Amino acid sequence: MSEKAATVNVRRLDSRHWFGKGCAGVLLGFGLAVALSGLFAWLGPGGIEGGGGKTQFNMWLISPIWAGVLSFVFLFRDSLRAWLWLGAANLAAFGLLGALRLGMG
Amino acid sequence: MKIRNDVIKVYKDVHIWVGIVSGLMLFIAFYAGAITMFEKPLERWATPPSALAPPPPIERADELREAVLARHPQAAKFHAVVVQPTAEMPARVVWREPGKTRRDFTEYGASFAADGSLQVEKLARAPVAQLVDTLHQLVGLPFADAVARPIMGAVALLYAVALVSGLIIVLPTLVKDFFALRLGKNIKRMWMDVHNALGIVSLPFHLVMALTSVVFAFHTPFYAVQEKVVYPHGLPWGQHEPAPLPGPGEYRLPADELLRRVEAQLPGFEVYSFIFREDHGQLEASVTGLDVRYGTRGRTYASTHLNPYTGEVDPHDLPGHMEPWSAAVNTFFMLHFGSYGGDAMRWLYVAMGLAGAMLFYTGNLLWIESRRRKRRDGVIPGQKRSARVLGCLTVGVSLGCVIGISATLAATKWLPGQADDLAAWHEGIYYAVFFAAVAWAFVRGAARGADELLRLAALATLLIPLGSLAGIWGIGGTWNHHGAGFAVDATALAAVPVFLLLAHHTRKRMLEGHADSVWSAKHEPAVDPGASPQEVAVSK
Repeated sequence: MSEKAATVNVRRLDSRHWFGKGCAGVLLGFGLAVALSGLFAWLGPGGIEGGGGKTQFNMWLISPIWAGVLSFVFLFRDSLRAWLWLGAANLAAFGLLGALRLGMG
Repeated sequence: MKIRNDVIKVYKDVHIWVGIVSGLMLFIAFYAGAITMFEKPLERWATPPSALAPPPPIERADELREAVLARHPQAAKFHAVVVQPTAEMPARVVWREPGKTRRDFTEYGASFAADGSLQVEKLARAPVAQLVDTLHQLVGLPFADAVARPIMGAVALLYAVALVSGLIIVLPTLVKDFFALRLGKNIKRMWMDVHNALGIVSLPFHLVMALTSVVFAFHTPFYAVQEKVVYPHGLPWGQHEPAPLPGPGEYRLPADELLRRVEAQLPGFEVYSFIFREDHGQLEASVTGLDVRYGTRGRTYASTHLNPYTGEVDPHDLPGHMEPWSAAVNTFFMLHFGSYGGDAMRWLYVAMGLAGAMLFYTGNLLWIESRRRKRRDGVIPGQKRSARVLGCLTVGVSLGCVIGISATLAATKWLPGQADDLAAWHEGIYYAVFFAAVAWAFVRGAARGADELLRLAALATLLIPLGSLAGIWGIGGTWNHHGAGFAVDATALAAVPVFLLLAHHTRKRMLEGHADSVWSAKHEPAVDPGASPQEVAVSK
C-alpha cells in the first residue's frame, strides 16, 4: 500500500474494526444506558421516589439508549477510540450518579 | 442529506451482517406476530366445546360461587365470575389451581346441571394460539424460555441496529428513491426499491417493535442492575394499598350488582370478568375488561382493583385514568400489542406484521442478488455456495414457519379426540414440519424448493377449514362454535390463492427468468469449483 493511500485510510472510516466497536457498543453502551437512566431517575421530574410508574419508565429508558449507542458506535474511527470515549462517558456518568447518591441519598 | 461515502460504506456492511444474522428469526417473529394479533378469536375457534350445562344467569353467579367454594375451598384463593362466558371460557364461575410455577396453573369451570347439582369441569382452553404467540415471542427458536428469550433480546438489538444503519444508507438518496419503484429488468434494483419503501414507510412501527422487544427480553436484568446501581433503598414501587375491609353493615356485593356499579362508573368499559382473591380472610377484588378507545398493557384486556363491598373502582390502573408516568409506559406496551382501536387496528397490525416479514425476506433476496455470478460470454457460471445456501435457508425457514403454523392449526380440531397432551402435539407438529421444510429446501435447491413449499403452504392452509367443515357433521370429534370462528376459516381460505399465486410466479421465474441465478432451474447448480483468481479480478 502506498504512503498516500495509507494516510487517506487513516481519515476514512473502515469496516475492519467492527468487532471491537461492536463489543464497546454492547458493553459500554449498556453501562452508559444504566448510568444515564439512573441520572434521569435522580434528576428527572419527580425525583428518585417518583413512584411505581416512574420506576418503570426509568427501566424503559435503558433500551433506546443502549440500542442508540450500539447503532452509532461504528462512527468511531477505530475500536480504541470507541472504548476510550465510551469508557470516559461511563466514568463521567457513573461518577455523577455516585455523587448524587452520596449527596442526595 | 449528505453523508460521507466511507460512513455509508461502513453502515452498509453493518446493515448487511446484522440483517443476515437476525433476518430469518425476525421473519418468524413477524409472521407469527401477525397471526397472534387475533389470538383470542383463534383460541375460541380452537377450543373444543365444553360439557358443562349452559351458564346460569349472572344473577345466580354468587349461588354458583358459594356452591363451588363449599366443595372446593381452595378455589377461594383465585376465582372469577365471568360476565360473558365464551367458548374458551365457558363457565360463569372459573378458578385456578396453582401448579409448580406462577404461570403454571390449571383452570376449572363450574355450572349447575339440569337437576340443580354442581358440575365441575377442567377447562380445555386450546393451547395452539399460545404456541403461535410463543413462536412470536421466542423468534421461533425451539429452546427453553430461559435460553431463547435472551437470544430474542439480542436479535431485537441487532434489529434496532439494522434499522438505524438502513436509514443511514438510504438518507442521501431518500428523496430521489422514495417514490421510485423501478419494476423492470434490473431485479436487484426492483427488490432494493421494495425493501427501501417497506423500511421507510414502516420505520416508526419497526423502531417501536425493536425497542419494546429489548425490554420484553431483558426487563428482569434491567431492574436488577438498576436496583443495585441507581436506587438507594431498592426499587420504589410506590405503596401497595391494602385490600379494603368492609365498613359496618357492608357485605360482599353480588356480581350483577357489581356489574351495574362498575358500568355506571366506567362508561364505555366492557366488563369481561370479576376476579376475587381471598388470603387469610382478606378479600381482594379486581375487574377486567376493555375500553377500545384506550390501548392496554395487557394484550387483550385491562384490569384494575375494585372494592367488593361498595363496587367502587380504583381506576389508577386503567388506561385513561393513569398518572402520567404509568400512562407513558402503558403507551409503550400498547404500541407493541396494537391493543387500541379495536379490530380495525388489529387488522392494520396484521398488515404491518406481514409487511415486516416481507422486509426481512427481501433483505435476504438482496443479499443473494448482489452475490449473483452473471452470464459471461454466453457461459452460465455456477452460483456461489454462500448464495445458494442462503437461498435454501431463506426459503426453508420462512416457508417452513408458514407451513408449520398452518399444519399445526389444521390439526387443531382433530387432535382433542385422539391425543392427551395437546400442547406437546401442536409443538411437535410445528417443528417436525418446519425442519422438514428446511431440509426439503436444501435437497431441492432454492428455486424448486420455493415453488414446491409454496404449494404445500397452500395445501396446509386449505386443510385448516377442513376441521370446521367436518365439524358440521361432528366427524372424528370435530366441532364448530355457533357464531364464532368463521373468520378464522375464511382468513385461511383467503390465504390459499395468495400462496398459489406466489408459487405460480416462483415457477415462472424458475423456468423463464435469468438462468444465471439461484432462482433458476435451467442450470443445474454445479458443485462450486471456487472462484478462479481471474474471475475475482473481473468481478471487481
